[in-house]
Amino acid sequence: MKKWLFIFSAGTLLTTGLFAQARKITFEKYTLPNGLKVILHQDNSAPVVAVTALYHVGSKNEDTARTGFAHFFEHLLFEGTENIKRGEFMKYVNDAGGNLNANTSQDRTFYYELLPSNQLKLGLWLESERMMHAKIEDIGVNTQREVVKEEKRQRVDNQPYGSIITEILKRSFKEHPYKWAPIGSMDHLNAAKLDEFINFYKTFYVPDTCVLSIAGDFNTADAKKLIEDYFGAIPKGTRPIPRPNITEKPLGGEVRDVIQDNIQLPAVIQAYRAPKQGSEEDYAFRMLSTVLSGGRSARMSKVLVDQKQLALQAASIPFFNEDAGLFINFAIASMGVKPEVLEPQVDSVVNSLKAELISEKEFQKVKNQIESNFVSANSTMAGIAESLANYEVYFGDANLINTELNRYQKVTRQDILNVAKKYLNKDNRVVLYYVPKTKAAPTGKP
Amino acid sequence: MKKSIIYLFALLPLSMMAQVDRSKAPQPSPAPVIKIGKPATFTLANGLKVFVVENTKLPRISTTLSFDMDGIVEGNKSGLTAIGGALLRHGTTKMNKAQLDEEIDFLGASINASATSVSASSLKSNFAKAFGLMSDIILHPSFPGAELEKIRKLELSGLQAAKDDPASIAQNVVNRLTYGKDHPYGDITTEETLNNVKMEDIKKYFATYWKPNNAYLVFVGDISVAEAKALAQANLGTWKPGAVPKPTYKEPQPPAKTYIAVVDRPASVQSVINFVTPLQLKPGTPDVIPASVMNNILGAGSTSRLFMNLREKHGFTYGAYSSIKSDRLAGAFSADASVRNEKTDSAIAQFLSEFNRIRTESLTAVEVGNMKNYLSGSFARSLESPQTIANFALNIARYNLPANYYQDYLKNLSAVTPSTVQSVAQKYVLPNQMHIVIVGNAKEIAPGLEKYGQVRYFDVYGNEKSAPVVKQTDASVTPESILRKALTMSGGEAAIATLKDVQLTGAASIMGRDITISQKHVFPSAYSFEASMGGMALQKELLKGGKYTLVAQGQSQEPEASDKEEIDERAALVSETYMLSKPGYKYSLGGIEQVEGKDAYVLVVKSPAGRDYTNYYDVATGLKVMTSSVEDAGPMGKMTIKRIFSDYKPYSGVQIPTRVIVDLGPIKQDIKFTDIKVNTGLKADDLK
Repeated sequence: MKKWLFIFSAGTLLTTGLFAQARKITFEKYTLPNGLKVILHQDNSAPVVAVTALYHVGSKNEDTARTGFAHFFEHLLFEGTENIKRGEFMKYVNDAGGNLNANTSQDRTFYYELLPSNQLKLGLWLESERMMHAKIEDIGVNTQREVVKEEKRQRVDNQPYGSIITEILKRSFKEHPYKWAPIGSMDHLNAAKLDEFINFYKTFYVPDTCVLSIAGDFNTADAKKLIEDYFGAIPKGTRPIPRPNITEKPLGGEVRDVIQDNIQLPAVIQAYRAPKQGSEEDYAFRMLSTVLSGGRSARMSKVLVDQKQLALQAASIPFFNEDAGLFINFAIASMGVKPEVLEPQVDSVVNSLKAELISEKEFQKVKNQIESNFVSANSTMAGIAESLANYEVYFGDANLINTELNRYQKVTRQDILNVAKKYLNKDNRVVLYYVPKTKAAPTGKP
Repeated sequence: MKKSIIYLFALLPLSMMAQVDRSKAPQPSPAPVIKIGKPATFTLANGLKVFVVENTKLPRISTTLSFDMDGIVEGNKSGLTAIGGALLRHGTTKMNKAQLDEEIDFLGASINASATSVSASSLKSNFAKAFGLMSDIILHPSFPGAELEKIRKLELSGLQAAKDDPASIAQNVVNRLTYGKDHPYGDITTEETLNNVKMEDIKKYFATYWKPNNAYLVFVGDISVAEAKALAQANLGTWKPGAVPKPTYKEPQPPAKTYIAVVDRPASVQSVINFVTPLQLKPGTPDVIPASVMNNILGAGSTSRLFMNLREKHGFTYGAYSSIKSDRLAGAFSADASVRNEKTDSAIAQFLSEFNRIRTESLTAVEVGNMKNYLSGSFARSLESPQTIANFALNIARYNLPANYYQDYLKNLSAVTPSTVQSVAQKYVLPNQMHIVIVGNAKEIAPGLEKYGQVRYFDVYGNEKSAPVVKQTDASVTPESILRKALTMSGGEAAIATLKDVQLTGAASIMGRDITISQKHVFPSAYSFEASMGGMALQKELLKGGKYTLVAQGQSQEPEASDKEEIDERAALVSETYMLSKPGYKYSLGGIEQVEGKDAYVLVVKSPAGRDYTNYYDVATGLKVMTSSVEDAGPMGKMTIKRIFSDYKPYSGVQIPTRVIVDLGPIKQDIKFTDIKVNTGLKADDLK
């Protein structure tokens, strides 16, 4: 329930869009006088509707002494409102046969309800209540503090390799708020007073930071009327929105560390500083990432897992966000293989990208895979609503859902070689070895 | 209206102009008309039935070939279909596995195969090629022998992981007791049955059952009927039809009376409890929909009665659930939970009480109404995926359902009333005719269970066995006497004192990897141990000059007092000599239990460094046959670790076990010492 977007969050945001051959996704976009942006995609082919609200607030908007707030709100705002009793938010959706959830990244917080289409009004009522007058009270704050702590225990502390993103971020960024992960600090949450939570709500949960994106089986004219009814009266925000304006300096040398974790098999993680999302280099990087780990025949799994059997699993993860990006390689060692043995092999796969152009055939394979993933991505109303909102918030252009693939088509083999040479260098990376904390599984002694 | 007040209307806040009552949840609009598309269908000359759900929303197509079969009795070759299914995707007569992977990725496609189905998906533009590869996998698999062995090895290590897992044990025993060994659902896969699977068996399976006239081919996506017809004909038109055996099986019957089947697992701290009654409930029959409403209220999800009772109210368990399965061959009602040992009895009582309550106490219209809302909403949402339409069509064909079965689903759902729910509960929830299977610590949980029915005992494969006998130890037996006897039977203090040094070399295999073990003792106080794989050290322990070193996976560990003590005990070789010489050990007797089929005294030890463990000494030979301790295994929680000692042989008059099985539950390590040298003049300095 309500998961904090862990590792693939921003990385996957952009992998939605359509190639030239794909069907055009039509939508209507407008802004209410109070600043709320609305995007409507009508599709009456199945009796379902996805009601989503994307707030442009993530962990990067937090105070350095109050990290974890954005994610905490993702929990708190299910607690209830002036008209929704505590604990009933979910029950309304369940009893309607619907489903709901939310997630938080470094850049935004996203809420959604998936409903049978005759329950559109229910979704609008719930989301407008959440924006208009959520109840921020001690009882809810205290309850959710415990839940978030439990979540951290389960997903970060107790999860093998669960702290990777936190550990990488704090070494990759010195100034920018990307240096902490959305889960934030439990001490900060403990120390925060009720009025700080209320202030955060009043600052960020206002119509002008939100995109209400709805896709599915409705009549656009009726939906617009309902949206006016439920959201029109919500006042515009009155406070300035803190948005960091920090350009992080280059890393300036390789950073290495060893992390002890509750794991059985060591892992090697390399995080290279990379361009921010939406840049031309970003698209070249995403294609490069597919060369390394897009399928059973991709270089990482073919070389490290199948041929050399040094890794149980190996993957590349583009982790590109609004202000800056990271490109992460992650390999779990096979039993008995030391990280020191595995790392040079990961390097050699990565360096092969800097040595020469990938072949025309491999380039074509990657293009085919990217095209295929794109076309498949927007197959649900929920996916379409989320993509439209992301494109609007990050690039100011929801229509990228139809045109973004052109940006990939511009990438050449030389561009891939160029980003590899420019970014995949030692002095531009953080390397972590994850090693077993407890003694290894005991072996037999008479 | 007075003109003078018109302007006031203009000043009213928007919220008052919008006629919306925020104080309560809005009413739903009229239920949407559910349009369930009808797939086109045709049959090839060879009997292959094809369905096409054309959906042009995305330029993408997926396809699945599935067979109309309920499974076969695999018996002493159980695992045959698991291995065979995986093998299909590992090579065709035209391409080996690597080439196949490369080709599939190049198309941006994905293809998966099992023993009863193959599926593929890709963009429309590459679909003809992807479908060609899939057809090749269906018609011309190469069944490479080396790949078979790779897959068998994987299956074997998976099985090893499952072997001591109480949930897997429970599943095996439940299946065997409910369906019997002559029924496809009663198969149990063991190492032996996996090893029995031969290439001929796999080939024979596919040759027998994979016939076009026994299969359904479904296309979903941006494909017209004409295109589908052309593709199917061109690729699978030459596939030869043939008679396919349709075995029939005896319908499993509910037990005449509820009884308890206990599978003793002494290491368990939780009991895995399963309640099962086999049922005749065929797909599409009128009871299926009310039975689903009933089961959802009783035990599906985190708002159900069982969950609220056993977890929320009593805190016996993390989750308690029930399910009802309609099935052509054999349906079933089942329920399960994992509960703390001491709550086993009470949890069974609460389950039975909920079973009785839903049978006897009237349900409220609100409770049934909410559940119907939930189910109709879920049904509507499921229609978003075109695959759902294909599944509906497939079910209609396969189970011979009325053509409008799914069209009428909501109507039939809305006709369900509290009294129909209760009547299906009375028909299918049969608290007096259940198998209650419990995998757990028999000694702790069995007392008190007789009130629910006869208590019978089974092994992990569902074979009945006699109840474990609780044997009393003789009054003359004391912890001291057990340790002394172990010492004497190991050769006695005098013989042990003649040992100057001992070197043991052995090998073990763990998850298919070979490990070398080297252990050295220079008495009185130097010792080393190393486990390595392919020349790389996995784990090292060293005691030399009073200094303790621990290295695991290349990382040095700081030994704590308890680690040091453990090393001291091991360094003594016959650990009893150390235990008897050090003050501060506390012992208690835990009676007699069986270890590997032989009676053993149970000696519970609390060491001076605070370690808790249990040693087992053979009643007849006096030698230590097992030690057992519970260790913190990080994210996996607590784990019981057992070391079983056997094949004792004398070296310089001292009995040394030449075989040690380290049992970590999911992983077992069988170590055989093949080379043991005594008094070769080894020095402490030689230990590294």
